Amino acid sequence: MKKVLLKNIENPDSALLTEYMRVGGYKNLKSAVKEMTPRDIIDDVKESGLRGRGGAGFPTGMKWQFASMDPKFPKYLVCNADEGEPGTFKDRPILEKNPHLLIEGMVIAAYALQCSRGYIYLRGEYPQAKVILESAIDEAYKKGFLGDDILKRHFKFNLSVYQGAGAYICGEETALIESLEGRRGQPRIKPPFPVNAGLWGRPTIVNNVETFANIPLIIEIGPKSYAAIGNTACPGPKLFSVSGCVKRPGVYELPMGTTLKEIVYEHCGGLVDGRTLKGIIPGGLSTPILTPDKIDCAMDFVNLPKAGSQLGSGAVMVFDDSVCLVKVYERAMKFFEHESCGKCTPCREGTGWMRNILGRIECGRATAEDVDTLIDVANNISGATFCPLGDGAAGVVLAFVNNYRDEIDYHIKYKKCC
Amino acid sequence: MIKVNIDGQEITLEKPMTILAAAQRAGIKIPTLCYDKQLEPFGGCRLCLVEIERVPKLMASCTVNVTDGMVVRTQTEKVKKARKAQLEFLLINHPLDCPVCDKAGECDLQDLVAQYGAHEGRFLEGKRKHPESFRDPIIVRNMERCITCTRCVRMCDGVQGAFAITVTGRGNHSFVEPFTGGEYKCEYCGNCLTVCPVGAIMSKLHRHSYRPWYVEKEIKTICGFCAVGCTLIAQTRGKDIIRTMPKHGLGINDGILCVRGRFGYDYRSGEGRITTPLIRKDSGELEPASWETAIDYAARRLADIKERHGVASIGGIGSGRCTNEDNYMLQKLIRYVIGSNNMDSSARFAFAPAQKYLERMFGQGVTANLIPGIANADGVIVFGGDPTAINPILGVQCRIARRKGAKVIVIGAPAGLKGFVDYKLEPVVGCEEVVLRAIVKGVVDKKGLSGENAYIENKIKKLMSPDDETIERVGVAVADIAKAVDNILKMKSPVVVIGPEAVHTSSASLNLFLLGVINYVLNGRIFLLSEKANYQGLLDMGCAPDVVPGGRPIELDIIEHKFQDLLGSKTPEEHGMNLYEMIDAAKNGKLKALYVMGDNPLFNYPDREHIEDAFNKIDFLIVQDISLNDTVKMADVVFPANSWLEKDGTFINLGRSLQRLRKALSMDGCWDDWKIVAEVAKKLGMKKSYESSKDVWEEIRKVSPLYRDVDYVGLDEQALTWPYMGEPIRGLEGDFKVEGLEQVLGNVAKGSDGFMGLTNPVLMLERPLFHSGSMSGMSKALLSIYGAPYFKISKTLALRYGFKEGDKVRVIMEKGEIDASAQIDVNMQDGVVYLSNIFEGVGYMGVVGYKVDAVVGSLVITNNNIVDIVRVED
Ligand SMILES: Cc1cc2nc3c(=O)[nH]c(=O)nc-3n(C[C@H](O)[C@H](O)[C@H](O)COP(=O)(O)O)c2cc1C
Ligand code: SF4
Ligand code: SF4
Ligand code: SF4
Ligand code: SF4
Ligand code: FES
Repeated sequence: MKKVLLKNIENPDSALLTEYMRVGGYKNLKSAVKEMTPRDIIDDVKESGLRGRGGAGFPTGMKWQFASMDPKFPKYLVCNADEGEPGTFKDRPILEKNPHLLIEGMVIAAYALQCSRGYIYLRGEYPQAKVILESAIDEAYKKGFLGDDILKRHFKFNLSVYQGAGAYICGEETALIESLEGRRGQPRIKPPFPVNAGLWGRPTIVNNVETFANIPLIIEIGPKSYAAIGNTACPGPKLFSVSGCVKRPGVYELPMGTTLKEIVYEHCGGLVDGRTLKGIIPGGLSTPILTPDKIDCAMDFVNLPKAGSQLGSGAVMVFDDSVCLVKVYERAMKFFEHESCGKCTPCREGTGWMRNILGRIECGRATAEDVDTLIDVANNISGATFCPLGDGAAGVVLAFVNNYRDEIDYHIKYKKCC
Repeated sequence: MIKVNIDGQEITLEKPMTILAAAQRAGIKIPTLCYDKQLEPFGGCRLCLVEIERVPKLMASCTVNVTDGMVVRTQTEKVKKARKAQLEFLLINHPLDCPVCDKAGECDLQDLVAQYGAHEGRFLEGKRKHPESFRDPIIVRNMERCITCTRCVRMCDGVQGAFAITVTGRGNHSFVEPFTGGEYKCEYCGNCLTVCPVGAIMSKLHRHSYRPWYVEKEIKTICGFCAVGCTLIAQTRGKDIIRTMPKHGLGINDGILCVRGRFGYDYRSGEGRITTPLIRKDSGELEPASWETAIDYAARRLADIKERHGVASIGGIGSGRCTNEDNYMLQKLIRYVIGSNNMDSSARFAFAPAQKYLERMFGQGVTANLIPGIANADGVIVFGGDPTAINPILGVQCRIARRKGAKVIVIGAPAGLKGFVDYKLEPVVGCEEVVLRAIVKGVVDKKGLSGENAYIENKIKKLMSPDDETIERVGVAVADIAKAVDNILKMKSPVVVIGPEAVHTSSASLNLFLLGVINYVLNGRIFLLSEKANYQGLLDMGCAPDVVPGGRPIELDIIEHKFQDLLGSKTPEEHGMNLYEMIDAAKNGKLKALYVMGDNPLFNYPDREHIEDAFNKIDFLIVQDISLNDTVKMADVVFPANSWLEKDGTFINLGRSLQRLRKALSMDGCWDDWKIVAEVAKKLGMKKSYESSKDVWEEIRKVSPLYRDVDYVGLDEQALTWPYMGEPIRGLEGDFKVEGLEQVLGNVAKGSDGFMGLTNPVLMLERPLFHSGSMSGMSKALLSIYGAPYFKISKTLALRYGFKEGDKVRVIMEKGEIDASAQIDVNMQDGVVYLSNIFEGVGYMGVVGYKVDAVVGSLVITNNNIVDIVRVED
């Protein structure tokens, strides 16, 4: 398949406007603004079947329609570039290598949704991306792709970068909005949803970097051709960031629905020689781990849930038999404990508790009863939290305990890794 | 119509609400921790989870609205397990130090765990540690106990509007802290600790000294620290007050209090409280005496003076700290038993004349407005003082109004409204009139006049506007005035808040007229700030030379002599002296005897030398008070009185709501003011006797038609607002003749009449939040926050006079000198220095002079130019 999202990135100057335009950049913006009405664009995005790439997979066209139906103005457009999910680094190449693709996607979205102000909420730990994005935005202003009179169409859209301070929760869209407003990053009560009452109480459309990056393609090839890419239920190109025990970790652009097997063994070159597969986390640390027998599962929003996990951000983490999964999950829980925003009881108190128990199992101080407690605690967190962060933390522990009970029992019994 | 089914019960609702609210309506109890009905929903504790049919996950009932056809279950095994789980989670990091926690016994967490479990802990690791903080004067923080429900933060931000605290840190290291760390340094309203469900934020006042079940009695009464009249619950045990608390749903304050109402209750047992009558002996010393002897003596001397010098030589001063019944009785003694109209009070300085002036413009009852209604106003205009300090809960209402979308325009610099102001017009102190004039002119020119009241409009037509140059010279941008005018014009239901400083200047008459005009043109509501709790009540009770109880003008009463039988005598016909006249008369020997109830003229009135001189010449001075103050020390007879927490009776607040005060406990040795006065009156021939304040009220009802249908039983149920259930006395509208006003209207001062151009700064009165006069100065709690006098001064001035923050300085005035430390305030103008009038020996009033405004009759401060400021060595 021809690369779209990562097009031209081998070119060391791919982030420059001239280079982007040389390979056809901003052509789609021009045709969208000149030939289509905002309505047309929303309809096309709906028809394309594009689902959000931030993790939840919400149909983008539907989100846009909700926002456009709200009569309140001004409306705000926000790009979620917080990319905080462990294992995820798929937005980064877009931000650093192809920033104009994101900008083009956002300007088309702004036109479709009649937003005159946009923000890119950038992960605090991406200082390089900030420099690149800001210079790309500058270039776009100079060329008239941003500003008060875009392409001389009396269409106004101003865009700037806002950098977070390093909280994972600020990737959650309502916490992100709180943070943008200058408050403590904590999720808000929903409803109202951001499409109706987001930034400063105004309708706000929050989409992931990769989601916006798909928009120019939909304009270019039309919704029907787009829908034909990959899995028809959730089509389009998808970025997979693969890490762990494979020969060639990295970011791969493949059609939605590519199987795990193809990703791991064809594109990433398989495992290190002599090792066997122990497990795969398919969509970032908050998605449940899959056992090796699920290797044939297609990576999309439909098939992964059937296999007991989720596509999430498409961050594949591969573990071979050299890895102690108890250690992995102790470390994972440390992350969730550290990143819990503290708003709700089960996540604030429960993640630390789970980390404690996993730590005890790991260092050989646990009893069999502890595993029961761990399961019970995870069950008590599940479904009771305010936002998906805590829920996710419990879900991954449950999946781990269910699938790797032997490994855990071995730790308890022999006080060492197997 | 929305139909929902909760636990099998069909509930029909007219409007959407949360599941929790719907359940509460149906009497179904769902446990909660982060929910509080006065706060915005949060949804954090997850205790209120319920099952909804066809929804896979449990839902937080405090944040999810019901929808038609929804089926909810609150008692399933799944729900019960979830509740227990949340409580178990909360106990992970909770220290479980109930034995030494003051909250035990009224702790939501403790109660819920008792009810739902978990009774056994499975958490094996150590709990988080966080040191307890004693850094604040009246608050102790124990963040190990905090369950991060954020009720305190939502209270401080969303209701109080102080924005003092926040959750810092993340996850299980979330703690509630002030933004700057360390000390709260906030308004110390204590509303955060009122809503804290556990023992994380606690009062220092009763730390480790009680358990909630020690409370023997809870008495609902009215706060006596200002004229808002907040309802509070006094909890007592034996002869002690354990604490005072607000209660959601009760009173004007609806669940909140200010620092004075919340923590000032220990004034009762403060230093200097007197508990036995005193008589000045030949030796010149005040010595203890029995009640009988003291009363006998007082009556004898009064009778003697009346006999020798006539009724005109005797006068009385009522008190804004005392109840209606107390004040009624004092005026009865002076007016109907002794026979003199020499009856007044310190309400004369600002509140009484300002109200009278406004009533002459608009008719009676113009200030009868409900304080909670301010929150619904779409505009707030503030002039002449900081409502958040003088009448704190009224100030909070102004903040709430702003939060709900009202535009707030202030003239001057009310510090407590900082952050809640849309347009701040801060002219040079003393030149406010220029700005007000320009605003009113702008508003009238754009809006036009309705023709409704020709008398007012004739005067408005003469109003001249200051030129732009003058406006700029007093330090305000002309463009800002235009913006303020535009915003004022958009207001549909504004309130006009008038502070005392509006009338303590020589432009009193003009200020009031202009504020009245804004009110007239916009059809607004006026709130007249009042420090003392019952200035309105004492006026309504006839504690003024020209009115009799019920607010009837004395001229009318003299014609009718309606209540002769009831009162035992006719209303005297001779002109009575007002407060200023009484002081002058004392000075020149005409006033021989003065009965002072609940006031301290030597300290509270300006020009100490003059007042001292006058009081020295009085032959016989009776002072009835709670503490051994400066005036008490000069008295011939001293009666120890009960204070507001020790009294039954009624108060009338600044919005003219009549409320019932209830005795929380008694003070050994002290009597109610009305009773003392009545005993003296009896010795002087009064026939009637009274058993209780209720008997006094019954008489008031008979004398004044206004209260005819108001009895204590009814007042127990609810407060009533003027004209109560009775008939107002009208007939006061019409032309309001104000001599001199018309010339002033047509003649714009060029700004030089103010304090502009003076080389030396002026000394102004600070009216602090943490105190309200002498009573608060007895409270150890309030003193722990604000315990010593200081001069508030700008940085430039400090530099000019060569001192720095904390230095001891002497301010030299024409009428005396005063030493206190300097406190530098970067937000202040350079032309003023502030000093409070709280601390004996270092009061503002003692070193300034006064004159009486010719038109309004208010007290105008004079001699307040500072001669010099020097640093003094300790
Ligand atoms: C704890 C948490 C973290 C999240 N982090 C991210 C993130 O880093 N980037 C992102 O795009 N979406 C993140 N999301 C998802 C967003 O809330 C939101 O669904 C997404 O930005 C919507 O964009 P999309 O529709 O384009 O996917 C996160 C959600 C949760 C609950
Ligand atoms: S689950 Fe609760 S504590 Fe955890 S991040 Fe979400 S809101 Fe915060
Ligand atoms: S005492 Fe009042 S002002 Fe201070 S933190 Fe608590 S609520 Fe806020
Ligand atoms: S201090 Fe009290 S009110 Fe504030 S968050 Fe903690 S438990 Fe809640
Ligand atoms: S001082 Fe005034 S505002 Fe404060 S609690 Fe008392 S009545 Fe209320
Ligand atoms: S009361 Fe509903 S979540 Fe706390």
